[in-house]
Amino acid sequence: MISEEYRGTQQWSRDKQAVFTVVWISFLVAALGTMVFFAIFDPVDLTGIFDQDLDIGRDAGYAAGFFFFWVLCAICSGITAYLVRTAPKRKAKRRDQ
Amino acid sequence: MSNPDSASMYASAKKIYPREIDGRFANLSKIATVVLLGLFYAVPWFNWDERQAVLFDLPARKFHILGLTLWPQDFPYLAMLLMIAALTLFFFTALAGRLWCGFACPQTVWTEIFIWMEQWTEGKRSQRMKLDQAPWSWNKLRRKGSKQLLWITFSMWTGFTFVGYFTPIRGLGSEIITLSVGGWTLFWGLFYGFATYGNAGYMREQVCKYMCPYARFQSAMFDKDTLIISYDEERGEPRGGRKRSVDPQEAGLGDCIDCQLCVQVCPTGIDIREGLQYECIACAACIDACDSIMDKMNYPRGLVRYTTEHALHHEGTRVLRPRMFVYATILLFLIAGLTTSMATRTPIILDVIRDRNMLYREMPGNVIENAYTLKVINQSEEPRTFALSVTGIEGISLDGVGDTITVDGGGVLSVPVRARAHRDNAYGIMTIQFNVAAVDDEGVALSEDSRFLGPTP
Repeated sequence: MISEEYRGTQQWSRDKQAVFTVVWISFLVAALGTMVFFAIFDPVDLTGIFDQDLDIGRDAGYAAGFFFFWVLCAICSGITAYLVRTAPKRKAKRRDQ
Repeated sequence: MSNPDSASMYASAKKIYPREIDGRFANLSKIATVVLLGLFYAVPWFNWDERQAVLFDLPARKFHILGLTLWPQDFPYLAMLLMIAALTLFFFTALAGRLWCGFACPQTVWTEIFIWMEQWTEGKRSQRMKLDQAPWSWNKLRRKGSKQLLWITFSMWTGFTFVGYFTPIRGLGSEIITLSVGGWTLFWGLFYGFATYGNAGYMREQVCKYMCPYARFQSAMFDKDTLIISYDEERGEPRGGRKRSVDPQEAGLGDCIDCQLCVQVCPTGIDIREGLQYECIACAACIDACDSIMDKMNYPRGLVRYTTEHALHHEGTRVLRPRMFVYATILLFLIAGLTTSMATRTPIILDVIRDRNMLYREMPGNVIENAYTLKVINQSEEPRTFALSVTGIEGISLDGVGDTITVDGGGVLSVPVRARAHRDNAYGIMTIQFNVAAVDDEGVALSEDSRFLGPTP
């Protein structure tokens, strides 16, 4: 029997797990997405699409792209995590009552 | 689970105080930390031909790696490199378990360094636990304060180094001294610094347990011949305390003296004696811990050791197995592919954009004309002169451009051109080739296909 003092049981609550996992995984995927996206498209070329007069530099373009991907991925995996966790449980067997 | 501890599954959120341990694997881990982080912090300071040796120049959309300059068009190389990295990871995981997690993952090495700083300021495990429980005092404030000072300074330096891979680091250094750092540079530096501080200072192995996708699916690479860290149950059980003078066999005991040291040193807070658990990052701290006890007891080392499931069950371990051949073959193909394509890479890029506003134009003298824009990128460092030509239709010629064009080193030149062919030869949709060749070196040449439209015959 291992005393609790020795066993440093650090357990995150399920909510904390979900929030941090969603933030972290969407961060990683956004980083990958940003890399692929901007390898193909130059932010300077893209700004012209939205507004001819819009003139933000590449630095700001990359940052905007990254945060766009991050938020998008976070919404996606956040909703997925929420739905999976709040789904009605399958009943193992019917109970009388 | 009959384990009475299971009540703590979500009730407690105790902090883990990993106990420090010396030994073979601790030394290996120290070496890995110093080498890997040393590289991270040192590489941006090296120069190559008046230029930072490794610089991912995002504003200019060019990556400089030693003598090599990569362009956005070279993205397939990066993709291949990532695939090679992933397969290397699979290969070594199948062979030797979570080597990556235990010794090379940034999360592990930065956590290691942050723990060192914690130990310098707050002392050993027992001192840290006492300090946390003690009421605030001058001593506690001093120790906690100096830890934070070290952590924050180190995180800032990390953020600065990270940004230094994207902005020339020497210039960045003087910008910081004169307080003229650009907004985004400052933002990303702080962002990365803060992420390091949070991940390595506070979240630590919780990242591995809860947030790391690789930690969850790496078991797919495991089989019974994979090197794992395991407790030899057969030899250790029944565990129990005893005096050094007691002969365990006479006392009916195994070699495990139940000293709990392997649990205390574990950074993820698991008990290796319960078998292979996904929380185990294979840092091997428990091996060092157990070996030190076995030495003290005069028992042979290796009650907790690197072994395989097959070896534990007295079956032979096979290193050469189909899985290893599959990973190795794919890996070799990818490496060979990357090397060949890098070696035969021509330092020019030619993009042909056909003028979409016009199908074709009929010119006097039964000549059909199509318009294009050629984008020629010179990937070498010096200005270069190229010969342009067009082929694919009998008698086709270029108009609107001289015989040669000169492009600056690392520059892009857009050339509007018209291709002309006689009506007898040009009908329907035909494929033509634009050719560009360096005047000074015949080997540096490239062809790009495009379409030539003519009237329907």
